[in-house]
Amino acid sequence: MKHWGTLLLLPGLLLAQPEFFGYFESEASTLQIGTSNYNYGFNKFRLDVEARPNDHILIGANLTAQQYWGQTTWNMLDFIPEEIWSPYFFPDPLSSSSYFDPTFPITIPDTLFLDNVYMKVSLSNLDITIGRQQISNGVGYAWNPTDIFNFKSLLDPSYEQTGIEGLRFDYPLAYTASVSVFIQPEQEWERSAKQGWLKVNLGSFDLELTKASHIWGHPTFFSGPYLQRRSLLGASVVGEILGFGTWFEGSSFQTDDPLATGGDEEWQEYLVGLDYTFENSLYILGEYLHNDLGVAKKSDLTLWDYLGALDGSSHSLMQDYAFFYAMHPTFDYVTLSAIAFANFNDNSGAFSPIVDWNIFQDTNLSLQGSFFWGDDNTEFGLQDWGLILNATSSF
Amino acid sequence: MKVKLFVLILVGVSILSAQTPTAEEIVDRVTAIMSPENSYSKGSQTIITSSGKERVFEFESWAAEKGKSSMTRYTKPAAIRGQAFLMLNNADDIWSYFPRTKRVRKLASHAKKQKMQGSDFTYEDMGGGDVFQKKFKSTILSEETKDGDLAWKIQMIGIPDKDPPHPKIIMWVRQSDYYPVALDYYDGKDFNTKSLVLSDIQVIESFPTAMTMVMTDNKERSSTTMKTLEITYAWKPTKGFFSERNLKK
Repeated sequence: MKHWGTLLLLPGLLLAQPEFFGYFESEASTLQIGTSNYNYGFNKFRLDVEARPNDHILIGANLTAQQYWGQTTWNMLDFIPEEIWSPYFFPDPLSSSSYFDPTFPITIPDTLFLDNVYMKVSLSNLDITIGRQQISNGVGYAWNPTDIFNFKSLLDPSYEQTGIEGLRFDYPLAYTASVSVFIQPEQEWERSAKQGWLKVNLGSFDLELTKASHIWGHPTFFSGPYLQRRSLLGASVVGEILGFGTWFEGSSFQTDDPLATGGDEEWQEYLVGLDYTFENSLYILGEYLHNDLGVAKKSDLTLWDYLGALDGSSHSLMQDYAFFYAMHPTFDYVTLSAIAFANFNDNSGAFSPIVDWNIFQDTNLSLQGSFFWGDDNTEFGLQDWGLILNATSSF
Repeated sequence: MKVKLFVLILVGVSILSAQTPTAEEIVDRVTAIMSPENSYSKGSQTIITSSGKERVFEFESWAAEKGKSSMTRYTKPAAIRGQAFLMLNNADDIWSYFPRTKRVRKLASHAKKQKMQGSDFTYEDMGGGDVFQKKFKSTILSEETKDGDLAWKIQMIGIPDKDPPHPKIIMWVRQSDYYPVALDYYDGKDFNTKSLVLSDIQVIESFPTAMTMVMTDNKERSSTTMKTLEITYAWKPTKGFFSERNLKK
């Protein structure tokens, strides 16, 4: 049932004179956590195929092969302060500082899969997209409180998202307004994720209202994910104030089953951001996130909270964060940029300078450093530093 | 005798004023010629940096309402294939679309000063419409020969409270058909930051059209050549063409 879209669309794609394009990406990383150093990376090949059998139909698919090397099995406990996970392990009587089998291994296997496979039918006043497709919601750069489908990495928030199986309808109301609905079908209608958007342009502002309901899965330590039904009412607005690009994105969540949310039946999550481009092409962006569902005090954190944040099922571990990005095309085809983010609740954060070199047309080489600060028992301070070398070539 | 002289002067002034339009009239004609009702074109953009490195882009472009609404979609190189920009209200409102993330983003007005794909053209330079008429005060500086054609040299000073894209522009307008053949852009310190040369002007469907435009950045010593590979003014937009829906197609 999960791959019904693939079975339906592949024959049509192969028959309709497709265009082929895509990229090869290779990444090598090193990460220092305390006294441990990890080397790892991946080679990724993505083949995009698009066919337009007629003016009304677009069929697309992305075949992704990803091979990992180096450290491919991770102990999740390395990314969680010992004081958080230690209550769940029995101490070793022969040593006061070690435990019997303190591991929570996650293995990342090599993959070959169809990331997206979809058909878009464009009628005069309606677009219908069937199949596995990217759903990118919200106006935030580092976080999207109205997005129930994706999780972003703070070190690379603009990386492409994986596809979501579903059915999408887009209905333009006028030049500057539209209604969209997305349904991610499951075996039972009640368990299917549903989200609707109303988007309106008001002068120099774009306003979006959204409503969603979905089953949210929170990872647990010893068993499968704990499922919780949630509904969301959200809004976003993007425009300009005093010459700065300005945006807001916020959601109000509700659940009838508050066990997984610490007893909270209602909570809010919102983000504000601004950006500006100077005459010398320096671009700056800043965002602030508040997530009620995050933990306010470091001492209140639990293993449950960490698992949710590491798994990507919660937008943030704690409540208050800031994100900054600056970028400048400094030399011929060389862009210098920097990312910085901070957790205000545990006073930890990271600074990440990036050099990106468009070495040939369609080929980029980038080097990204990451330097983390904060105590060893904080979200980001747990790590020390990292380095990522990435080469991407498109065709 | 005095009466005859007065009449001669009066006739002379009348003839001169009939033959030499005012700067505003020239700018009005330039705006009309440069802003056909609709257009569809395919073009290439070649960037050459100060160190001689070259990057080539290809794109499709649609414009309507005399350039008030426009959309550009890149077709090459592969890395940016499908990236598109929608500009409404003479580029006062810009939306960008990135196919890799399937995300549409509204850009604030400061983004208009950003270089398009690292070229020497900004989004603002690509916006059409009546910017020269509404945001500048124009005067004729002189008449001179430019690339073999007699041209008016027009000085356009930005009107500060109209948010002009440049403080000053000097434009050479060919007298034979009111087509601009060169523009020099100046910053607040009266430094000639960029120069645009329009050449290979052909009449396409009754509209003179520069098939080649070269923008030179005089600070960075880089240049961008924009070539029109294919163009028609007979294209008409369908209802809702300049919309976010079409941007993502």
